[in-house]
Amino acid sequence: MIFLITAFYHEAKPFIKYFKLKNFQCSKFEIFSNNNFILIISGEGFIKSAIATTFLLSKFKTVDKDIALNVGICGAKKKDFSKGDVILCHKIINHHSQKAFYPDILVNHQMKEGILESFLIPVKKNNLKGEIEGDIIDMEGAGFFESASVFLPPHNIHCIKIVYDFLDYKKIEKEEVSELIEKNIPIIENFINSLLELNIRVYEKPINEEKLKDIIEKLKNSLHLTVSMTYELEKYLKSYIIRKGDIPKEISEFFYIDVKNKKERKDYFEKLKKFLYT
Amino acid sequence: MKSSKNFSILRPFSHIYIEKDVLSHPITELILKKFPRSILIEIETYKEIFSRSKQNYKLQEMSRKLILAKKRGEFIYPGPPLCPNFGHHYFYYTTLILNCIFSCDYCFLKGMYSSAHIVVFVNIEDYFKEIDILLKKHPIYLSLSYNTDLMALEKIVPFFSMFMEYIDLKMDLIIEVRTKSAEYKILEKLKPKENVILSWTLLPKEIIKKFEPKTPNLELRLHAIKKALEYGWKVRLNFDPLIFIENWKEIYLRFIGEIFKEIEPHKIYDISIGVFRIPKDYFKRMKKIFTNEITLFPYEEDKKSLTYPYELRKEMIDFFLQNISTNIPNEKIFII
Repeated sequence: MIFLITAFYHEAKPFIKYFKLKNFQCSKFEIFSNNNFILIISGEGFIKSAIATTFLLSKFKTVDKDIALNVGICGAKKKDFSKGDVILCHKIINHHSQKAFYPDILVNHQMKEGILESFLIPVKKNNLKGEIEGDIIDMEGAGFFESASVFLPPHNIHCIKIVYDFLDYKKIEKEEVSELIEKNIPIIENFINSLLELNIRVYEKPINEEKLKDIIEKLKNSLHLTVSMTYELEKYLKSYIIRKGDIPKEISEFFYIDVKNKKERKDYFEKLKKFLYT
Repeated sequence: MKSSKNFSILRPFSHIYIEKDVLSHPITELILKKFPRSILIEIETYKEIFSRSKQNYKLQEMSRKLILAKKRGEFIYPGPPLCPNFGHHYFYYTTLILNCIFSCDYCFLKGMYSSAHIVVFVNIEDYFKEIDILLKKHPIYLSLSYNTDLMALEKIVPFFSMFMEYIDLKMDLIIEVRTKSAEYKILEKLKPKENVILSWTLLPKEIIKKFEPKTPNLELRLHAIKKALEYGWKVRLNFDPLIFIENWKEIYLRFIGEIFKEIEPHKIYDISIGVFRIPKDYFKRMKKIFTNEITLFPYEEDKKSLTYPYELRKEMIDFFLQNISTNIPNEKIFII
């Protein structure tokens, strides 16, 4: 599942349209979803972003291969970036606690990279105080990242920010925000697809667990195996599958033995182990 | 979802994380010159990256990042119980670098660390100071390369050469450098040292292909050993770990033959033999991430570590010993 967290409706709107997301009934937040995506609108600020992220990732019970992205607009500190640039953040700083977060960036992408610094209040050039390490500034990234880190591995958590202004804005034009995000959706989608491919490489199990379970059950019943013997048998079977690619056909010969006593059970179990490790 | 048009993994060291305290350290500058295209990210401490929760070692191995840090606290550790001391009472090891570029399937580092990224502690001068202090108390036998392969990383950071320079005339300090590297060219530029043991880990080519495909092959390693001997270095051969594989007797017999076809046995300083073993906790973590022949073997517990069942390990050691002792005298063989 891909979880998207945006601060405002106008940041979410292009995704809702592009991925054809439907309204998901929820009294606490505005949520939109389809089979692959769940999007939540958090509201402004990193506290709200952290709350929405925690709500979403706990309500939908994440697994490690899920992906969480915070997408939204930001202000750029320097003119190194242009309006509309899409930035993948490699360091995310909570300006107030000075705590920093780092995603694992393992796949190639078409975005620029930079440091994001999150503030509790809107930042403008004329109210900048002290040193700012971030290349770009927002109000949500750090809250999102800290929360998502509780649930997901760092290669599946990312902040993607689109430059809207240079800390000199007067008013945020909602339609313009949607347009900037819409333009960058193909790049973001490509990044999401790369993350999905990356995850396939690690979370795909080489063993058919259902088939294995079925065989263990049959052997457990025919040989009257104890709990510890069953556990040991599972290890031997998995090891055999990894070495040879599949469960040996000859194992079915053990399905129809009905052991009469403990000694017989032990003998057959040793025979089975030897068969699986030769 | 459409499939990704351009899926590819980022090159190793695409990102380099640098602790603020070592930004202008000469070793940092030396390393950074070698990676002009990498993205540099300042950090407070290496643990911000290395010790994050829920990292995936297997994925990180595909695109390892480099972390340049300052070692603080302890620099020298007492030798671990699962490692041999080769008869030296004052046995220590040190960790200039955490993790290795080779990614062997059976490597304990996969279970020891939560991250596959490589940490280089650039402040080598502080290690030298600590060793100097310890040397005032007693002689030291120091293993340099337990948690990495220092010689294999020499092109990135010349710690091996720096240690060779430091050790000159320090006869109370004996150094062991473990490696699977084939980089003998480093040795061309250095004078052989009486108190340095270059310690090559060797495995049969079938096992190298299956469990450590990123390492130099057996021929290359043997060539490097021959060169090291030719230049006058002391060479130890590590047959540790011995790895169980189908037809292992046939494979190991051929392997011993191949080694001594290339290397004159009397030139070897000594050898060590030990079957695969791993601390139980490391194995548990390794198994969570890696599903392969190594992690799925039904091991037995022996002194808080996991290893092959007693009969198998006895058979493996006896077999290997019997076949190698025709080449190497018993007093030069250490069994672990």
